[in-house]
Amino acid sequence: MTRLILSTSNIMTGGPSIIRKPGADRSNLELTNSLRSNFLAAQQDYSPSSGSKANSPTAYEKEDSPRRPSPSLWTTRESSDFYIPTIDWSMSGLAEEPSQYDITVKIFYLPGADIKDREQHTKDAVNLVLKELGVGTIDLLIVSFPGMSFEGDCEWEADKKNSTQGNDEEEIASWPVLEEFYDHGIVRRLGLAEYGSEKLSRFLNRVRIRPEVDQVNVKDCCNVPPPLLKLAKLEKIALFVHNDCTNILPSGTLRELLGTGTRGAGVLSESKRGCNGLQGDLKPEWVVKYTAVVRDRGVIENKGYFAVAELEE
Amino acid sequence: MGLLALGTPLDWPEAKQSADHVREWGIKQLLAVWNRAKGKERDALLWGDEVEYLVVKYVESKKVDGQPSIEPEVTLSLRQADILRALAHDEELCHVGGCVPDLQAEGGSLPIFHPEFGRFMLEATPGKPWGIGFRDLLDVEANMKLRRKIAKDHMNADEFPITLTTYPHLGNPGIFTSPYYPPSGPKLRSQFVPDEIANPHIRFPTLAANIRSRRGRKVQVNVPVFKDKETPWPWKDPTVNYDLHNWPEDDDVRNGAAPDNFIHMDAMAFGMGSCCLQITFQAKNITEGRRMYDQLSPLGPVLLALTAATPIYKGFLADTDVRWNQISAAVDDRTPEELGEEPLKNNRWRIPKSRYASNSTYISDDPRLRKEYLDPNLIVDADVKQRLMDGGMDSLLASHFAHLFIRDPIVIFAEDLQELDLTKSDHFENLQSTNWQHIRFKPPPTGSDIGWRVEFRPMEIQVTDFENAAFSVFIVLITRAILSFDLNFYVPISKTDENMETAHKRDAVLNEKFSFRKNPFPTRQPRPYSANGIITPTGTTTPAVLSRPPSPTGPVEDEYALMGINEIMNGSKSDSPNNFPGLIPLVESYLDSMNVDVETRCEIGAYLALIRKRADGSLWTASKWIRNFVQTHPGYKHDSVVNDKINHDLIGAVIDIEERRWLVRDVDKFLGKGVAPCRDDPEVPCKDGIMALATPAPSSA
Repeated sequence: MTRLILSTSNIMTGGPSIIRKPGADRSNLELTNSLRSNFLAAQQDYSPSSGSKANSPTAYEKEDSPRRPSPSLWTTRESSDFYIPTIDWSMSGLAEEPSQYDITVKIFYLPGADIKDREQHTKDAVNLVLKELGVGTIDLLIVSFPGMSFEGDCEWEADKKNSTQGNDEEEIASWPVLEEFYDHGIVRRLGLAEYGSEKLSRFLNRVRIRPEVDQVNVKDCCNVPPPLLKLAKLEKIALFVHNDCTNILPSGTLRELLGTGTRGAGVLSESKRGCNGLQGDLKPEWVVKYTAVVRDRGVIENKGYFAVAELEE
Repeated sequence: MGLLALGTPLDWPEAKQSADHVREWGIKQLLAVWNRAKGKERDALLWGDEVEYLVVKYVESKKVDGQPSIEPEVTLSLRQADILRALAHDEELCHVGGCVPDLQAEGGSLPIFHPEFGRFMLEATPGKPWGIGFRDLLDVEANMKLRRKIAKDHMNADEFPITLTTYPHLGNPGIFTSPYYPPSGPKLRSQFVPDEIANPHIRFPTLAANIRSRRGRKVQVNVPVFKDKETPWPWKDPTVNYDLHNWPEDDDVRNGAAPDNFIHMDAMAFGMGSCCLQITFQAKNITEGRRMYDQLSPLGPVLLALTAATPIYKGFLADTDVRWNQISAAVDDRTPEELGEEPLKNNRWRIPKSRYASNSTYISDDPRLRKEYLDPNLIVDADVKQRLMDGGMDSLLASHFAHLFIRDPIVIFAEDLQELDLTKSDHFENLQSTNWQHIRFKPPPTGSDIGWRVEFRPMEIQVTDFENAAFSVFIVLITRAILSFDLNFYVPISKTDENMETAHKRDAVLNEKFSFRKNPFPTRQPRPYSANGIITPTGTTTPAVLSRPPSPTGPVEDEYALMGINEIMNGSKSDSPNNFPGLIPLVESYLDSMNVDVETRCEIGAYLALIRKRADGSLWTASKWIRNFVQTHPGYKHDSVVNDKINHDLIGAVIDIEERRWLVRDVDKFLGKGVAPCRDDPEVPCKDGIMALATPAPSSA
């Protein structure tokens, strides 16, 4: 088993890849675009031959894939961990004192992963983020469980439909590791994503440390389902807006990102019998998004993703 | 306007003698501030808006027994001093902290009211600065409404604070002020407006008189008239009197001051009597302040065109939509030599712009600032620049201040020339505050903990608090997006001058193109320990330190393109070669990365929707709405004349728009469909989310 650790590094200065197209609905384009551009950047930076083109990624992108540098130049293998691209930890950390920042972390548990691994996945995700940002605490940790959404135009309907989505038992069983982080002061507030009124009230009744935030994607943010609004007010839960899709990294997308196609990184063979690159079954397990905002200036200094997948070679 | 010091002002010839003295002390004070504050760090984002009002006296048309009433139906109220006094003396209000600055209680957060140049004007600011907490953004509109209400509560029942940029009948023959004063006074010497139009505080008449004196004639504010189908052509301003002989300056019109096809105005009040919406930000440190100054500069003309609200002057429809050039001309103190009309003899330079004009230089130490963006012919006082550099200031910033210091101080108080006080900055501020550039870089004031600030000044005041809040919040958010995404909007500074001119054209928001940078994103920095990070272009290895972004190369002309306001605000369409992301999508992308609650996001969404629709033409600018109001008024004869009745009804509509908008013609085309505020009652849909005002049944009117 190999654990693939994909990273975007800081995407704030990554240019157009993270700019929302007008009218675009929720998407995973920010993740996939920024992974792709970080792979490309690492390939340019770590392969001397492409030095002259280091600052013109678009020109480089247009070229055909055969000129792509070998993965060994720009990725790192440490026992069973495979970093794509290589992470230079000496570059991690924030510019100012950790107390100046509001740090929000969101973990996406992906549908293919084993429920019993969630505890370990959560710890891995939090530790990677703490290491990357060089901090000891997180202000808000939001978890996104698979299979949840607000669908449709009528938000009343969406709220009702939401009550049957996901899996209450599995979600509640995943919560203690978060409570542990809270108990140790590593996380100051906990949050959920895409919980409608019914699911939320069931959840609140059964957990020891309650979530303080519910992050919802309603099509029109002025149209929050009234039962959810009411419950949130009553239980003092902040309703935040987000724009992510729940299944943020389907395995097909991941395979394409790493594959040998024109827009792929050339790390993974497209077919199981390919002759270059890794081969095997690819299972995306979790994605974590982190954002560090200078609190009293409203400036986003660092934002990025880690995505982890298991490869059965 | 800042605090108003009292003293004995010097008349022009005398003030001129002391100009070098003031500049000399001003530089010393600036250097003292610079040395004290250049290392100031980690200041929070604090910001404030300034809303300016005209005060009108408005009476619904009334006739008693068929006799027309003697009092005109709508006038400018000159009771500014009385109203400010009423605000100050309202003990109950003062007790909780809101009134004029002198009486403001510590830590109060009720609005503060200030006098302005025009005696018919008021300015109001929030009682304490706003932060970046999204809750603060929600309070802006409510606070603006509160300001309007407090102002109204301290006026007579028939007086109203309105937010029009200019009073459409200012200077129109007849009675346009309450009380009435005849024009042609000794200070302004205007044919059209009385001296009493200006705030009587000695600073203001002195400012006006000394500008006129220095210039050697009255200011000339000429606006092209709008040519309608019945407008006589060539058009001669029928209100100009060529036979007046009260003052030497009355010769001006006989010497060609009032050309054909232009509405002619001749006093500072026609410009400085305009209302603006200004936003000031505190930067983290001087570096961030300098960067914000540069990055906001190219946005100025775009926001000017987008907030267009000034289609009428002196009772005539103008062929321009915004106020900017009129203010510029109204305070233009340049002599014929400086203007290039006469050879240089007594003056030091030809000066291409008025002291009220768009910025002339960039000041950031950003490596992306290319030399080609700067004006090679920038006029600076070389001695001043040298002294600033000797004092430790870098060349770019020294050039900026040495450019401001090419002007003379206009208002000098004799008392202030006796002793130099380096703990104050009055002499520096004397020049700084009479250089009215579209972005202002403000050093920290002495004796306070306030940091380096940047003021965004080009926007026109909007008719409603909703719009004013929308544009204020937008500007705050775009500054956050600029800093977060490290955006780069640099264009050659001369392009900003051109864009400012373009912004004046009628309906520039829809029809004109502006030079704007195509790619605002930063260049990626290579990894320092990587193959490319440690190899310099010459091939020698260097220590692995974080390299600065490489200096941009390639022709500057390739960096920008002509774009319409819609493309700049909403992003390039797929058929455009520019691929510009759009300022609104940039702000939305910023918001996507922040924790914003649903209620706040809804309100910000309404603000962004207003701006998006103004930019794409689905909603009208105030200018277009006013123009349309005039042109569809039954009393309009298609001859460009905005008569008393039209003016009266227009002011009536502006008064109604906040409280009784359902009475106002075409308001939906201007502000969008009225819908209930969603946050109070979630069961009422607010798909458009455009107007936070319910539309009750007309019967309640």
